[in-house]
Amino acid sequence: MEIRPILSALLRNKTGPVLVAVQVALSLAILANALHIVQVRQAVSARTSGLAAEQDVFALQIRPMQRGGHEEQLAGQARQTATLRAVPGVLSVAGSSQMPLSRSGNYNSLSVDRKQVNQTTGASVYRSADSLIKTWGLQLVEGRDFLPGEIPIIDQSTSDESPKVVIITRKLGEKMWPGSTSFVGKTMYFGTGEMAREAQVVGVIEKLQTPGAQITETGEQSILLPIRATGGKTDNYTLRAEPGQLDRVIKEAEAAVRAASPTPVIVRIKTMNEFRTTRYRADNALAWMLVTVSVLLLLITSSGIVGMASLWVTQRRKQIGVRRALGARRVDILRYFITENIMITSIGVAAGVLLALALNQLLVSSLEMARLPAGYLIAGAGVFWALGVAAVYGPAWRAASISPATATRSA
Amino acid sequence: MFQYYFKLGVRSLRRNPALTALMVLTLAVGVAASVATLTILHVMSGDPIPDKSARLFVPLFDNGPTEGYKPGDEPNDNQLSYRDAVNLLNSKVGERRTAIYGVALPIEPGRKDIGAFIAQGLAPTGDFFNMVDAPFLYGQGWSPADDKAAADVVVLNRKLAEKLYGATNPVGQRMSLGGFQYQIVGVLDTWNVVPRFHRIIGNDEGAFDEEDQIFIPFSNGIRHEYQRNGSTSCTGDFAPGFQSFLDSECTWVQAWIETRSVADRAELQSFMDSYATEQRKLGRLKRAAPNKLYDVREWLDHMKVVGNDSKLSAWLAFGFLVLCLVNTIGLLLAKFSVRASEVGIRRALGASRREIFNQFLIETTVVGLVGGALGLLLAFGALALIAAQSKALTVVAHMDWVMLLTTFAMAVGSAVLAGLLPTWRACQVTPALQLKSQ
Repeated sequence: MEIRPILSALLRNKTGPVLVAVQVALSLAILANALHIVQVRQAVSARTSGLAAEQDVFALQIRPMQRGGHEEQLAGQARQTATLRAVPGVLSVAGSSQMPLSRSGNYNSLSVDRKQVNQTTGASVYRSADSLIKTWGLQLVEGRDFLPGEIPIIDQSTSDESPKVVIITRKLGEKMWPGSTSFVGKTMYFGTGEMAREAQVVGVIEKLQTPGAQITETGEQSILLPIRATGGKTDNYTLRAEPGQLDRVIKEAEAAVRAASPTPVIVRIKTMNEFRTTRYRADNALAWMLVTVSVLLLLITSSGIVGMASLWVTQRRKQIGVRRALGARRVDILRYFITENIMITSIGVAAGVLLALALNQLLVSSLEMARLPAGYLIAGAGVFWALGVAAVYGPAWRAASISPATATRSA
Repeated sequence: MFQYYFKLGVRSLRRNPALTALMVLTLAVGVAASVATLTILHVMSGDPIPDKSARLFVPLFDNGPTEGYKPGDEPNDNQLSYRDAVNLLNSKVGERRTAIYGVALPIEPGRKDIGAFIAQGLAPTGDFFNMVDAPFLYGQGWSPADDKAAADVVVLNRKLAEKLYGATNPVGQRMSLGGFQYQIVGVLDTWNVVPRFHRIIGNDEGAFDEEDQIFIPFSNGIRHEYQRNGSTSCTGDFAPGFQSFLDSECTWVQAWIETRSVADRAELQSFMDSYATEQRKLGRLKRAAPNKLYDVREWLDHMKVVGNDSKLSAWLAFGFLVLCLVNTIGLLLAKFSVRASEVGIRRALGASRREIFNQFLIETTVVGLVGGALGLLLAFGALALIAAQSKALTVVAHMDWVMLLTTFAMAVGSAVLAGLLPTWRACQVTPALQLKSQ
């Protein structure tokens, strides 16, 4: 390969090559970091909630304008549950104090020993008088669901009694009792100290995200608590519709609840899909913006390479003619331009890798982003090499088609 | 000469349409991306109440448990317990004081066409409206006597008032709210304060949520035992019932104190310190952590109102703009290089280098203007797209005059910057060499 003459020609006229190399370097640095962030965010929003066939599940909140006493509220709850169960297309109904991904819920600190000073960890508490395992299709990996006798009826405005049994997620068990694989039968405490309430684990579920669905390990630390409670302002239910029937079931369930209530009620309904969209809106918005910028980036960089290469070909028409007249074949001219471009791109890619690492360092230190894996740099370098060759191929081919006769003309 | 060069510049746009279009587009896309992200950053980090932001303070006491606490640890929470909030209200420290908590109450409009619905709002004290410069359309806030009596009075926002009463002035009317009859004492005019600094914690969308619909006295919310709509943090256990919740160390109240001047901050700080010492004698605030004061800007910083994602977007967009500039430099070089002979002739006819420089720079300015105009359109499009993403982004994705002018200045500035090198190169053309080769 005739690298030396190409190099010395490049060094004679540095501006253009430097511009192309800078473009490649900048694009590579931005692209590698942007795509990495996109991938991280996609991974976050692709996490499952633990609910089976989540798209068929929705939450229904009933807020009566007048609230009766304890007995009246219990009767109301029984009537509402029966009404909802009777709606055609409803597969299952359960009370549920909160919903996964809903961004609003209750978190409790937990400990494994009453006497310990600091809490062991925290978890989000789902309270229900029915079987959330059944309605949500949660996967029970150890132990059992709650028995009917284990569900206390509690008036929260006067009593601070609490259930004695819980079902926990596997991740919570691993956090509370590191090293153990079986958690059924273990005792845990809500809070620490004298007042901490004791509860025994009777079952373990594979997965259930918290309302926050945090990206840290706490996002899967959930507890199911069996309780039939009164004293709140609202009654909260979660329903599973038959596949494909969701929209109809939602309308009919709302109408049925309104019709069955003796006093006016405010009904609020949100589907799991809506919760999911809202929870991950910011992540998806950022991902889209970064993808858009990346596509534009590639377009602009390749147009830049094409533009500069075309310029060089135009500027060197005469020289090319001379070379052709002296016996250079078309493929020699083609090879000259492609080699030249590979050299420029390589310098750009090398600088780009360094720049990408520097940019990532900046993002990590000041914006708490994740560190860039080497794979992105390698892939990015490959993409820009290929892009460089592809972009220069057209102009180089035009250069190769210049007739040797050009050499003899004066212009 | 300027006009003539300008005309030449406009004409030369047509000379090489493909190259020009590419240049204009590159510039426009780069400018649009950075302007769109910058606008959001600009709105998010704006001062919501410029003439008062240094005189409004959030007081914070750390009332967390001593177990597991090491001096220097982060405070337990960013809100106050009911006890501390009420003590501050009663203290008469500073010029005005308020304590706020969020409420969500059912409204029964008593009209056939509108069913019952839940309105979200705040329960502050009467001083709140003056402290945050809330604009009244009708009536006014409630009096200190109403605060004292925990009276059933309510201030509506304009949107809700128009929904319920149309364009008429509803002040003096009674409405059913939370199951009780309230008297309307005032209606706020549209009040889009961004960021919504007065209550950041406990909103769905943080500092960029929509307007509050209703305002009732803090004491009234407590009297009716309305549940709080927001964030509550409890470390200890407490007995059932509302009173024991109020007596607990749970933190759920947002407090603000307004001082007469910026200089009164030291006085406020010393008041807080002596208050905390007194409370310690009563067996509270055992951590003995420093008592914090934040003015509006410090509070926005502390609450990280401008998210990392917004900063990241802005940074990347600027990187993108730099790339577009480098690309434009290349394209301009290409455009000008084919005109070496033209420059040669002009130089031979007596034009100075300076003249050539002016001509080409004005030509690039024309490219910048066109790119800027297109960039502005694209930026509006991008902002509309961003605004469609969420409620919070709708609030911040608005372009103001400052940003509009910035866009234009940025586009033209970038074009001129990108044009400097190619223009300088064009000036270096040696007339003799060009004329000889013709």
